[in-house]
Amino acid sequence: MSVSSRGFAKAAGKGVVDMLPLSLAVLPWGILFGSLAVQRGFSWLEAQLFSGIIFGGAVQIVTVELIADNASLLTVLFSAFVISSRHFLYGLSLRERLSPKPLRWRLGMGFLLTDELFALSGHRRAYQSKFRLYYALGAGGSFYLAWNLWTFIGIVAGASLPDLTELGLDFAIAATFIALVVPEIKSLPTLVSVMVAACSAVLFSLWQFELGLVCAALLAMFAGYLTGKMQGGAA
Amino acid sequence: MTLLTIFLLACITFFTRYLFLEGRLPIRLGPNLKYLLSFSGPAVLTAITVPILFVHDQQLDIAMTNPYLWGGLAAVAAAYKTRSVYWTISLGLLLFVLTGY
Repeated sequence: MSVSSRGFAKAAGKGVVDMLPLSLAVLPWGILFGSLAVQRGFSWLEAQLFSGIIFGGAVQIVTVELIADNASLLTVLFSAFVISSRHFLYGLSLRERLSPKPLRWRLGMGFLLTDELFALSGHRRAYQSKFRLYYALGAGGSFYLAWNLWTFIGIVAGASLPDLTELGLDFAIAATFIALVVPEIKSLPTLVSVMVAACSAVLFSLWQFELGLVCAALLAMFAGYLTGKMQGGAA
Repeated sequence: MTLLTIFLLACITFFTRYLFLEGRLPIRLGPNLKYLLSFSGPAVLTAITVPILFVHDQQLDIAMTNPYLWGGLAAVAAAYKTRSVYWTISLGLLLFVLTGY
């Protein structure tokens, strides 16, 4: 192994480790999805394909129910689009760093760009070097494998497993995201932005507003932006 | 038919993820938009996290018996003091488990 490929492997390994709490935290949801799909009459292959090529938790759970309930194709596709629309924001945020990269990296990172990978993309030099690309590949790739493994377990074990989503593993996602956000709050605009995100996300969630996540994030971004402008700040 | 639907769904999620990573897309990010986007990370992560802590069964849950609140509080304090992901998750989970059972 050459020196650089050993370095790349090490970077990818660090990505795997950093993603580990999130990979484990989605275990109940992966299992829930796999067993739900089989119970709703999908074949093993179809259930695994959902995780293998769609690779989006919320989209998968919602569309599996819709398809099983014989919703029209348009309804299914539109719901998926609405739930996935938050990814536009991730792509836009990472555009500067990723758009100049070779096609295979863009395609790979585009495919792997989940909430969880975006959460680990906050570093100022994220995706900038080959090492950081391998780091993201390790993080995103291991999350992909974990999600597909949990789905597979759900498909095989199906209804014989208890509902693990009541176990509180989603707290691990919350704790990980807290660990990533709190150190980033270094200025008043960011603090205002985070506060607005918190309040509006809770409200939208209580209203069961489908686009709540995207709207809360956009409101929060504008709040931070305006606070910075009023301070005569960094723009 | 189901396979086709799954394939179309895959196209939609991939499209939403990939679109803005494409360099040939004729969009230039000006300084104002860049400044706005600089808030996207904390904004999105907070918008995902806080409802996990406060909303259960579509109800606002701010009771003292809600372990998510205690765990969340411990995690915020640990993140602020230690800036370490591992301390934050460990202390958060510890309080979450202690107050939950």
